[in-house]
Amino acid sequence: MFSHSAQLFSITPGSAEPIYRQLVEQARRLIAGGQLAPGEAMPSVRDLAQALALNPMTVSKAYGILEMEHLLDRRRGMGMIVAAAREGSHSASSRAELLRPTLERAAIEARQLELDPATVLALFTQIMKEAP
Amino acid sequence: MSAAVIALSSLSKRFGERAVLDRLDWQVERGQVVGLLGRNGAGKSTLLECLLGVRPLDGGSARLFGEDVGNLSAAARADIGYVPQSPDLFAWQTPTQMLHYFKALYPRWNDDKVEALLQRWGFDTALRHKLIGNLSGGEKQRLAIIRALAHEPALLVLDEPVSALDPVGRRAFLQELVGDVSGRDTTVLFSTHILTDLERVAPQVAFLNNGVIALQGELDTLLENAGVGLEELFIEVTA
Repeated sequence: MFSHSAQLFSITPGSAEPIYRQLVEQARRLIAGGQLAPGEAMPSVRDLAQALALNPMTVSKAYGILEMEHLLDRRRGMGMIVAAAREGSHSASSRAELLRPTLERAAIEARQLELDPATVLALFTQIMKEAP
Repeated sequence: MSAAVIALSSLSKRFGERAVLDRLDWQVERGQVVGLLGRNGAGKSTLLECLLGVRPLDGGSARLFGEDVGNLSAAARADIGYVPQSPDLFAWQTPTQMLHYFKALYPRWNDDKVEALLQRWGFDTALRHKLIGNLSGGEKQRLAIIRALAHEPALLVLDEPVSALDPVGRRAFLQELVGDVSGRDTTVLFSTHILTDLERVAPQVAFLNNGVIALQGELDTLLENAGVGLEELFIEVTA
């Protein structure tokens, strides 16, 4: 069975978003985007904690929340695997919805800069077309 | 008998007229990993020294594993690991001699762990036979950490453990601590100014301000309630 490495995740200490939240949101995006496919194994709590130099409790907490939200399944002896996709969970509109918090923050800054939507959209389009 | 590994009651410490610790009450439960925060001069080192019995108290009591610190049993002593802020003792010994000396003092001593850490943290043959007084600050600090982890203490107290380490050394130390803590039910108390490190490894934080523990709790909850990052929270609590 394919098993994901801990390199998939990265965290930013010091932000207002607690680290366990950052892990939950990243996993949510990776699952929605298909980088984490149903049935694939997640890195073990211990491996992920070691790789990111985190307390294992923080990783456990994130995995627990993802399990409660049915994004991960706990398999005995195998740790966590990505749960089977639910109806409609991979639609473009549900994936786009995950982008909303980031875009809302960008919208606030755009208003502060007194930019009109067309200018902002043009810039966003240009950024989307640039190499990652 | 309480489950608290550290129990401080009305702890006071004065330097001249100044009360550094002012009837401070605090408990740390078994298995907790707690980051102690406070401004420069808030008394973090004094607090750690007092609770370990390294410094005499001016009032109140400090108990470790349910025993008075002034009167610890040999078993309780063997369960404590301590890394002081500037580990500058044993300058006339080499790392090999110093570790050998300490090994004889403890009923438990994990040779494999000591060897693995020495190798991983850059103590080659030449460095192991250099006088400790001639080591760099970072090397001394790494050696002090190895010494404190070697006897697999149930309580680990670290005073600014990474202050002399570069980012690579800090990350290596955190990974070691994370592995060590998760493997056993170790209680860890450490003071630090490096908030990002604290956020990685300490689920619990305590702020020392005006001689008392002004705020303590689960870091995630404190951050979520405050709606700000740890640095902002630090400034709010200790201002």
